[in-house]
Amino acid sequence: MRRNNSAKLHTADVQTKRFGYSMITPTLVVLLIMTAYPLLFTLFYSFTDYNLLRNLREPASFIALKNYTDLLTDPYFQQSIWNTVKFTILAVIFEMLIGFVMALFVNCLRRGQKTMRTLLLLPYLLPTVTVALSWRMMLSPNYGIVNQVLQTLGLPVYNWFSDIHTAFGMLVVIDVWQSAPFVFLLLYAALQSVPQSQYEAARIDGAGRLKILFYVTIPNIKNSLALCALLRTIDSFRLFDKVNLLTGGGPANSTSTITQYLYNYGISSLDFGFGSAGAIVMTILVLILSSVYIKRAIQ
Amino acid sequence: MKKVIAMALALTMALGMTACGGGGGSSSGEDSSSGGSTELNLILRAGTYADVIKECLPAFEEEHGVTCNVQELSESDLYSGIALDAINADGSYDLCMVDGSWMAEFTENGVLANLSELGYELDDDIIPATTSICYVGDDVYLAPYYGNVTVLMFNKANVEAAGYNADTIDSLEDILAICKQAQADGKKGFIYRGDGQNNLVVDFLPILLSYGGWVIDDNNQPTVNTEEFKNAMNYYLELIATGEAQVKDDLIASVDTGSGTMGIGWPGWYTPTADSAADYIALNGAATDGGEAHNANVYGIWALGIPANSQNQELAAELLTYLMDADVQKSTVASGGVPCRYSSLQDPEVLETYPQYEVVCEALESGVYRPVISEWTQFYTTLGTEMDNIINGVKTVDQGLADAQTQLEELMAG
Repeated sequence: MRRNNSAKLHTADVQTKRFGYSMITPTLVVLLIMTAYPLLFTLFYSFTDYNLLRNLREPASFIALKNYTDLLTDPYFQQSIWNTVKFTILAVIFEMLIGFVMALFVNCLRRGQKTMRTLLLLPYLLPTVTVALSWRMMLSPNYGIVNQVLQTLGLPVYNWFSDIHTAFGMLVVIDVWQSAPFVFLLLYAALQSVPQSQYEAARIDGAGRLKILFYVTIPNIKNSLALCALLRTIDSFRLFDKVNLLTGGGPANSTSTITQYLYNYGISSLDFGFGSAGAIVMTILVLILSSVYIKRAIQ
Repeated sequence: MKKVIAMALALTMALGMTACGGGGGSSSGEDSSSGGSTELNLILRAGTYADVIKECLPAFEEEHGVTCNVQELSESDLYSGIALDAINADGSYDLCMVDGSWMAEFTENGVLANLSELGYELDDDIIPATTSICYVGDDVYLAPYYGNVTVLMFNKANVEAAGYNADTIDSLEDILAICKQAQADGKKGFIYRGDGQNNLVVDFLPILLSYGGWVIDDNNQPTVNTEEFKNAMNYYLELIATGEAQVKDDLIASVDTGSGTMGIGWPGWYTPTADSAADYIALNGAATDGGEAHNANVYGIWALGIPANSQNQELAAELLTYLMDADVQKSTVASGGVPCRYSSLQDPEVLETYPQYEVVCEALESGVYRPVISEWTQFYTTLGTEMDNIINGVKTVDQGLADAQTQLEELMAG
């Protein structure tokens, strides 16, 4: 009888496992086709001199690590790495801070939370191209509202995207303006789930606002904070569209990010072998940068 | 009951999928088989260049019973769009607009069809200099369609305030004097496009040509670290110090409103009239008053070609022939078209309404194509990057040009 029960349990266990495998198989297949295959293909191309058009008359040759050595010894690539890291750090810090303040502000509102939430989310809902072009118009040295206001106030005006001293900062400002609402949304949702009883207990114990923030609120939403930081880090590291539309990496490479560099030197000239090497390097850098978060998530 | 519902759902899904899949197949079959529904796909440069073509299409569509689909793209997207489609055995496009600087790369790699084999030949009405890159041997691969050529765009009032007019701007010295005067009057002098390496290089080339320099020699070796180049660069730095870098739309607005005085432009950007605040002239190519005049107008001609993998080459050749017809081209002038044809640009009626075409015709007769080398994209990226460094003070002229020369030599050595 006991043996019979054990056999039944074993069969049920196998069936459960089978069911589990059958459930994840479609996802695995999609992942293999959509992620693993392109990644392996990119890795393969990165060791060749593959040029899209040249390949029509002569096949690509294996050139071992030449693309990688060319890339890593190019001072402009090094500068683009530094620009990207600098941009990522600044953008993530400001987006996290501003998004968190926005979330706290909306969370403590007694009325109009929904309206405020919608209004604050608007920049994030806009397509990046629209955002870039709107800012370009606002910051235009001819008819831009920003320079007009500064002029009216008797303040100095700038050629924002063409001045080596202001272009990088403007890109950070625009990215923070657009992406802080994303952080706000995630943190606002997390704040909603913090048990009110903890706040009440803290207040009864005489904790002030700052103490409640650091000892109740932040510990309760730390996972969401980490997730936000991870997502924003990865996204900021891949910054391309705003740079490409607004500065093209200039002036004097001061805003050239890794993706813009790869576009200029790999994609636009159809040198996909070189571009692939850059993409692999970039993937490794993103993995290194986000490894802290990933390690934490796995644990 | 559950089984019945599940079977009904499965049957509905299967029918739906069959209907969707079958529909697509049969419609495409109809498209390709029935002569009345043939489609031609055009990939064109967005802006006036595509607009003038689009207005000519209805007559062709009606006459030939075809539908023309037009895809309008920016310059870089157009280049990659044509290139990406070229690797397919069956191409998606039947007619494409091609920048002259892509010619070498496209013909070397078999992207374009031989137009001579399709029965098309260039006629004598087309300005000869504009056809110089259209041939490989004796065969035609491109037809020069839109006569874009660099011109000096200026604000009339600012130029007059400096004591000059369109007829008295004889050299680069005069241009600098006007821009300095404008700056002294509290306006911006010379406006240049600082966004992107291509724009930086293209805006500078007319200056370089006026100093007798060029970016490559007869053997396609880079010549950017020469005395001529350095002199041109030093002059350019002095000139742009009177103004600032702006994007194209801002440049046009600046010159039109008078907040800026001058800039290198293209006829497709602006249509001057007798009452307009701005006008343009062809550079006469002299660096100094009384100095040697060089051909200093750089072509940005948009030519028409047929992709080698087009599925409708013969019909596309008919469309190309139609679009290149002298009368059809003249009809586009009113909408901003700039044909590379004497019959349009020297027509008394046209000149009466659009006197600026006289300038354009002169510029087209003496224009210079950007180097027809397959490495041009990498070439201008490298040169533009170093010029950007020089302009922004990151490198000196000597250092920047020496670095550019080294990198370009490596590039051209393969």
